[in-house]
Amino acid sequence: MPSEPRAPEPIRPAHWQQLSIRYPFADRPAVGPVDLSVEPGERVLLLGPSGSGKSTLLLSLTGLIPHSIPAVVEGSVRLFGVPADARKPSAWATTVAQFFQDADQTLCGMRVEDEIAFALENRALPEDVILRKVAEAMRRVGLPEAWRRRRTTTLSGGEKQLVALAAALAQEAPLFVADEPTAHLAPEAAGRLHRLLMNAGEGRSVLIVDHRLDGLIAAVDRVAVLGRDGTIVAAGPPGAIFRKKRDLLDRLGIWRPLASFLDAELEKVGLAPADPPLSVDDALRHLAGAPPEVVRKARPAIAAFVAAHAARPHGDRAGGATVARLEAADCAPFLGPTVLHDVTLDIRAGEILGILGANGAGKSTLGASLAGLLKLKRGRREGAPGGIAFQKPEHQFVAGTVQEEIATSLGGSGARADQARQVEGILAAWDLAGFRDRHPFELSQGQKRRLALAALTAGDRWPLLILDEPLAGLDAHGAAMVAQHVEALSRSGRAIAIVTHDMDFALSLCTRSVIVGDGGIIAEGPTAQLLSQPSLLKRAGLAEPAIAPAMCWLDRVPAC
Amino acid sequence: MLTALHPLGKLVVCMAWIAAAILVFDARFQLATIVIASLALVVLDRTSPILILALMVPFALFGFGFLTTSVLFRQDSDFALRIAGESVLNSPAFSAGVTLFLRAIACGMVSALFALTTDPGALIRALMAQWRLPPRIGYSLFSAMQLVPDLAAEAQQIRLARAMKRGRPPRRFPGPVELVSLVIPLLAFAIRRAGRAAIAMETRGLAPDAPRTVVSAPRLHGRDLAFIAIAFAALALCISWVRMG
Amino acid sequence: MNGKYTWTLRETLIVAVLGAVFAVLYLGWVQVWLIAQALFGPVTMDVVMGFWFVASIVAAAIIRKPGVAFATEVLTAAVQILLGNPAGLLLLVTGAVQGAGAEAVFAATRWRNYRLPVLMAAGVGAALFSFAYTWIRFDYGALAPGLLATMLVLRCLSGVLLGGLLGHVIVAALYRTGVLSGLAIDHAKRTARA
Ligand SMILES: Nc1ncnc2c1ncn2[C@@H]1O[C@H](COP(=O)(O)OP(=O)(O)OP(=O)(O)O)[C@@H](O)[C@H]1O
Ligand SMILES: Nc1ncnc2c1ncn2[C@@H]1O[C@H](COP(=O)(O)OP(=O)(O)OP(=O)(O)O)[C@@H](O)[C@H]1O
Ligand SMILES: [Mg+2]
Ligand SMILES: [Mg+2]
Repeated sequence: MPSEPRAPEPIRPAHWQQLSIRYPFADRPAVGPVDLSVEPGERVLLLGPSGSGKSTLLLSLTGLIPHSIPAVVEGSVRLFGVPADARKPSAWATTVAQFFQDADQTLCGMRVEDEIAFALENRALPEDVILRKVAEAMRRVGLPEAWRRRRTTTLSGGEKQLVALAAALAQEAPLFVADEPTAHLAPEAAGRLHRLLMNAGEGRSVLIVDHRLDGLIAAVDRVAVLGRDGTIVAAGPPGAIFRKKRDLLDRLGIWRPLASFLDAELEKVGLAPADPPLSVDDALRHLAGAPPEVVRKARPAIAAFVAAHAARPHGDRAGGATVARLEAADCAPFLGPTVLHDVTLDIRAGEILGILGANGAGKSTLGASLAGLLKLKRGRREGAPGGIAFQKPEHQFVAGTVQEEIATSLGGSGARADQARQVEGILAAWDLAGFRDRHPFELSQGQKRRLALAALTAGDRWPLLILDEPLAGLDAHGAAMVAQHVEALSRSGRAIAIVTHDMDFALSLCTRSVIVGDGGIIAEGPTAQLLSQPSLLKRAGLAEPAIAPAMCWLDRVPAC
Repeated sequence: MLTALHPLGKLVVCMAWIAAAILVFDARFQLATIVIASLALVVLDRTSPILILALMVPFALFGFGFLTTSVLFRQDSDFALRIAGESVLNSPAFSAGVTLFLRAIACGMVSALFALTTDPGALIRALMAQWRLPPRIGYSLFSAMQLVPDLAAEAQQIRLARAMKRGRPPRRFPGPVELVSLVIPLLAFAIRRAGRAAIAMETRGLAPDAPRTVVSAPRLHGRDLAFIAIAFAALALCISWVRMG
Repeated sequence: MNGKYTWTLRETLIVAVLGAVFAVLYLGWVQVWLIAQALFGPVTMDVVMGFWFVASIVAAAIIRKPGVAFATEVLTAAVQILLGNPAGLLLLVTGAVQGAGAEAVFAATRWRNYRLPVLMAAGVGAALFSFAYTWIRFDYGALAPGLLATMLVLRCLSGVLLGGLLGHVIVAALYRTGVLSGLAIDHAKRTARA
């Protein structure tokens, strides 16, 4: 292996030059041509709509594309000044730590401790050093000691992601690349992870792709935006991007931090803070102690912002008939131990129920039990069976093409041409029209999620629907689509339960929520009420919604 | 007790014993093997005798096939069968059949002893650390063994996915037709997982011929040497007993 | 792309997991066979034998490199032992012999041809090798020649149908699931189409 080149001036950790990548049989490149670089010690956030090629770009960094995943690559990638293809992907492990969008691509199905030790073993470090570093990585990420000997395939979605992060962090590489590292993490764990990743003290360069921006964005040095055509359409410091490129981001359907929306409202009344705000707190700080006439002017702007992003005024449909009911139920995952004891819960027609809780609390288990798909260890379930959109969208797929996936969920009734038209309609509604003949496993993560949701909601066979983490991996456009569909379904009288880590989403959509924790349900009630109890949120490993400071401001500041 | 032993020591002993069971064509030796293996499991490892009996059933069925083949299809078996009652039991064809039958059980019990008391992960680590098994092959084997327990969960997942399509929850237990229809999706799952594991291992630096540490590989202790010595002494005793008698 | 004869990590892993899944299937088949044997008598073994060659044929047809057929069959045997196949550690020898039989046929085509007739021939190769092995192991010399001939024919037929043909069907179905992209079979099919 060539020794690491040492030059007097800093060398860019990563540098894509005119890179474009075309998957076999695609008529146009999935991404590119892209010019992008990460400077030493810099923390770069890469944004882009779903399917714009973010993951593809990251996979080309160490040559996994085209070495392990077939594709045609043009242009060049340099890592610390060395062309990436000068070495095999495995030889870059000491330089680049990669966390993939799909935790299963980062983990190899071993025990937790073996998984974390693996990269260190490959560097032939002494055994005692490895053991120390494994313990250290587990502690930093917050993995309990008791998990050491658990197999990673028996972990919940978020727990897997934590282990994958511990394994990637233990590599201690000077460049850390992460693709949606917090998509399945509960707010408290996500916050801890953001602090860990973005810790500037370690002199590490970081390139991160993420859709959930609140809590992350403050630690980012530079944002680069990938457009729909796969080229970089904007780049710069986060504050400036989210203020000046608002329209562009909205047009592309990219998430903006909530503060950016508040900033826009305040700007309309001429009260925007001088520095572009990155959190709702930042946006309101300059109003503290402001004279009454300023407050009077700010109030409608802030109220409009809260109205747009908090609870939507949907009519009270709680009076519907009970669709399903769990009574004194003990729930367990398939082939797993009982994780929830003595659960009593019912869900009514037309209701949207939120299921919230920390990672591994048992939300997915509760969802599947409520749908009647898991055998209860004890207790009873009454009511019609329900359908589930699984936490991992791939679990939903049984067909060979996108179109077939939808067509088979429609059922055989109706004329052929009729059905074809229906399929087209659904594909268009979920923004999947261009992928008709693609294999479901060859989609981007967000596209997979949309396809899974589309397939589940296509038919009208299930009176009860459980959506497990419907937002994970989706861009703002996709999330709006989900919210729209959920509301339409609820209006048509279906009962819907949503498992989510996005408190703002729960607040805006779910009238009622349950909080899962400590082996059971620890609270139940109107979502807004639950999410305003700090002690409860802390106990459950949650956090208050990002919009909370604005709501609080409205309550606190007199209307005068 | 057996669980704590070094996997490779156990492997050598079991291989030697099975080799002996194949070479020593004598019903008594096979019987002795069965008794020793079962006793070792019950006494040293607290395995329940019921489990051992249950384990013997498939081995016995398997062995029974040999028994019937050799009794019914030996060239001289016509003759043997024509002889009345008890003399059938003394015919050479029958005793060969009995030996084959017992041998199936004996080999089965020795394998069971190894499989029940060995952690596959520890075995692979020992193979990589002490017998220089290339890590690529070692980890491939390891993944394969880790895959087996996940197949049931994956099969259930596929059944649920199909249920989502049909609009009806799946039956509790799959029927034979459904079982067959699960084969291709399960193979596809396995291959997909292999591809992902390859990416995971490659990004974390598993190279074909670089030196690497093997953490917590089992070490050879005094008790392993004692186990090997005792096992070989017992084997020698059994063989000489059969030879003399 | 990669060396024509060396296996990539992905290929090694695929051989391993195929070995594991087929080990489970083979064990299921052992139960089928035991029941059939009890009902129809000893020749049943030769009738059902072909299924125990299918792992090597499927793996070879997917990866198309030397040693794949042999390694898969040995591995399947090893995993079966750990799962508790009644035959015990001896199964390794059985697996090696059967794998060698299939590998010999693929070697004869210099690992270039994986069309249906070749897969069927591989089934016959495995059948012949395994027949020679069971001859030695179970002392077939003592059996009536007519019976021996019947057993041999049945076993070869089984190798053709349950080994070669079934293997071909499985590979085609797997190809449709899209998981084989980037492997040798994919290259071959795409170049053939282009
Ligand atoms: N293995 C593949 N074969 C063919 N096309 C693919 C494959 N993987 C991804 N694509 C396509 O390439 C494009 C870019 O995908 P990529 O996964 O890089 O998007 P992304 O920006 O990461 O999206 P997301 O935010 O949804 O994860 C998409 O249109 C996708 O459908
Ligand atoms: N097969 C299994 N064997 C043992 N434990 C399991 C198994 N499957 C799940 N568990 C455990 O059950 C608990 C609940 O899992 P579940 O998937 O319901 O969590 P969750 O609340 O959905 O978490 P997340 O937010 O991370 O998705 C977790 O602690 C998990 O580790
Ligand atoms: Mg992606
Ligand atoms: Mg979950």
